[in-house]
Amino acid sequence: MAEQDIALMAHLMRRAGFGASLDEIEAKAAQGYDSVVQELLNPESQGAVEEDLLIRFNPSYFEAAAIENNVQQWVWRMINSPRQLQEKVALFWHMIFCAGHSKIDSGQEMGLMVDIFRQNGMGKFDDLLFKLSTNPGMMYYLDNTESHKANLNENYGRELLELFSLGVGMDEAFNYSEDDVKVCARAFTGWNIAPPYPPFPHGRSPWEFRFDPADHDYSEKTFLGQTGNWNGEDIIRIACEQPATARFLARHLYNYFVADEPQVPAWRLTPPRDQAAIEALEKAYWDSDHSIKAMLDVLFNSAFFKDEAVRYAKVKNPAEMVVSLLRMTGEFQGYKPGLFELSQEPKYMGMDLMNPPTVEGWHTGREWIDSGTLVERINFASDILGNTELAGVRSLVNRLMGLGDKISPEQFVNGCLDLTGPLVMTEDTMGLLISHASKEGDLTHGTEAEQADFTRRSGEMFQMIAATAEFQFE
Amino acid sequence: MATHFFGLTSRTFRHSHDVGRAEFAGTGFRNPTDMAIAPDGTVYLCNRSYENRPDGVHVTAITLDEEYITEFGAYGEADGEFMWPTSVALNSKGNLYLADEWLNRITKFTKDGEFVSKWGTAGSGDGELKGPAGLAIDADDNIFVVDAGNNRVQKFTLDGKYLSQFGSAGSGDGQFNMPWGIALDGEGHIYIADWRNDRIQKFTADGQWEASIGVSGSGVGQLNRPNGVAVDADGDIYVADWMNNRVQVFAPDGRYVSEFRGEARLSKWGKDKLGSNPDMIRQRNLAYNNDPDYEKLLAHPCAVKIDSQGRICIIDHTRNRIQVYVKEAEPALV
Repeated sequence: MAEQDIALMAHLMRRAGFGASLDEIEAKAAQGYDSVVQELLNPESQGAVEEDLLIRFNPSYFEAAAIENNVQQWVWRMINSPRQLQEKVALFWHMIFCAGHSKIDSGQEMGLMVDIFRQNGMGKFDDLLFKLSTNPGMMYYLDNTESHKANLNENYGRELLELFSLGVGMDEAFNYSEDDVKVCARAFTGWNIAPPYPPFPHGRSPWEFRFDPADHDYSEKTFLGQTGNWNGEDIIRIACEQPATARFLARHLYNYFVADEPQVPAWRLTPPRDQAAIEALEKAYWDSDHSIKAMLDVLFNSAFFKDEAVRYAKVKNPAEMVVSLLRMTGEFQGYKPGLFELSQEPKYMGMDLMNPPTVEGWHTGREWIDSGTLVERINFASDILGNTELAGVRSLVNRLMGLGDKISPEQFVNGCLDLTGPLVMTEDTMGLLISHASKEGDLTHGTEAEQADFTRRSGEMFQMIAATAEFQFE
Repeated sequence: MATHFFGLTSRTFRHSHDVGRAEFAGTGFRNPTDMAIAPDGTVYLCNRSYENRPDGVHVTAITLDEEYITEFGAYGEADGEFMWPTSVALNSKGNLYLADEWLNRITKFTKDGEFVSKWGTAGSGDGELKGPAGLAIDADDNIFVVDAGNNRVQKFTLDGKYLSQFGSAGSGDGQFNMPWGIALDGEGHIYIADWRNDRIQKFTADGQWEASIGVSGSGVGQLNRPNGVAVDADGDIYVADWMNNRVQVFAPDGRYVSEFRGEARLSKWGKDKLGSNPDMIRQRNLAYNNDPDYEKLLAHPCAVKIDSQGRICIIDHTRNRIQVYVKEAEPALV
């Protein structure tokens, strides 16, 4: 199989999923790029998580109240779900439609919100916004529960326009006015939550959306130049018809799946990194009646996605860092204890899943890395990859041994890089790795002592790779 | 006016009361998976809790009158500890046996909770275990272990000496797909909750298949991942129909009799908890007025047992309580 096919498939699986082992990448490359893209885009065509088994071995996951249980369950799905793009898209929306446990204080609501992203994240954008706008957790997080006909709270109305659909501006102009914000908020009055059960003595009940007609502002409203007796659904429809919304989605998708863009607040004044790519994605939005799946279809099949220049051009976010390592090594497949600590790792690296810092979410790209988080990232990666006791790492070592009875330091380093990416190193880094491997000469594994030595050197090399700058990118 | 009965008419059930509340220690439970009830009324529940709250993993001993007796055991691998507890059973002397499906071992405690011994080896050979999920001890003090991962039931002496086995993987008569709960009736028949085959299978004491009850679904007599089973003195069979959130009752011949969907009221300990939290009383009242059913209904019931008084005790797993029903000799006005 051509090396470029493997490299392209690895790129696709890193971006449209959370990476894969070399075995899986090779199998998918043999299956063919177009076929794999269609599988990713159509999750129902792939096997599903076996929910009964998941709950049997983790009974606390059912209607889980604790936030830790919900985060843990999500990380398990990221690692194990055959529907990788579905989980990747759920994370995408969680990073845009930000709501956090620090205020919501119900792990179950956070889990349910992520499930909305999982189930609806590739559908029609209007439908997703409607689900979001009737999601009780979001209603509470952005104070729509405190917004009344007689006493308006503009928070949800403002964030819906600024952060969830149009964005502040594009091409240097503003996308909406302060009056539009007020009208938007008025249209969502009466969208509220039924009273839920408290945590004691038997656990919270799931929150339910409830429309209160007595609290809804039925008066005439003018929104983005259109006048009518608008309700929240009308606002969503009108917002989804705006060119700004197509632009907003295109830039977000590009930023998440292709290459790091400037931070969102800069988008009004800073043009896209690849204007033609954004236009292609916008066109898919209009041609498909606002389908996210159609935009992703164009994206994954485009030259700008396949371009070698965008490979390893994105800093891995902490969830990607943690989950991709576990998938690469085959660790944590199935059901076993020990996931809680691993599921907290993204938090230590600056990404507290289900609890973003603000409604604006996390700053991405190079802002993931500071001196503290870099140490966490390197330590975690080298702890996993350097632990040759782990079954997954053992299988990587076995594959290296399969390269031959006697392998040179160069073959050894290239083999290690293939198994951890395939990664491409700068000349300088490559020189350092080969220089280190050369210190002890060729590798053999004929005797038990040689096997032990081979294993030790493999662990060391994996740890060195985990500590490179290149390993921080995907 | 004529009163019509259709089918089985001789049984009448009534919800009696509820026991417990959500707690990680003391007077409550956390994700309880099974219980064993001693003739003196002591109830031993094994609490599975979850990884970031290992303090919730232990056995709680109480009575059905909500008297707290003690708790013992802890999360871990040392003697007397357990990680993924699935089931408990009592022998004739009142010792408690607990199965751990992760560590593949059975641990014996005294009735006061002191560690006595442990046994179990991971594997699929005779006497080896792969995810023990259900325990039952017969009148001769032999112990049956539902060996879920190996799709079989194994019989041991109480100190772990292998005696015999029955069952294999599959969906035919006498075959299993990830079986879970087990019950013995007064005549020594063995009932297995054949979890992923959505049925209960009945065997003779030496493992010969006799009958199956249930098919997949959510209708009358249908099951969705049944995980607990019990048989009362009349031979009626109670099935924790886990993913259908109910307990179904079948006659000894397998005909459907009735079902319990849950009728919980606040337990004594539940009232104690709310009593010190006026805000929660207010919040609960609002919620109750909006949806009174939510708090009553069973949520993933995972075990059903009959106590020495013939009461039907259901572990209401997700709500962290026991719902208790009684079978009345005469119809009672409810």
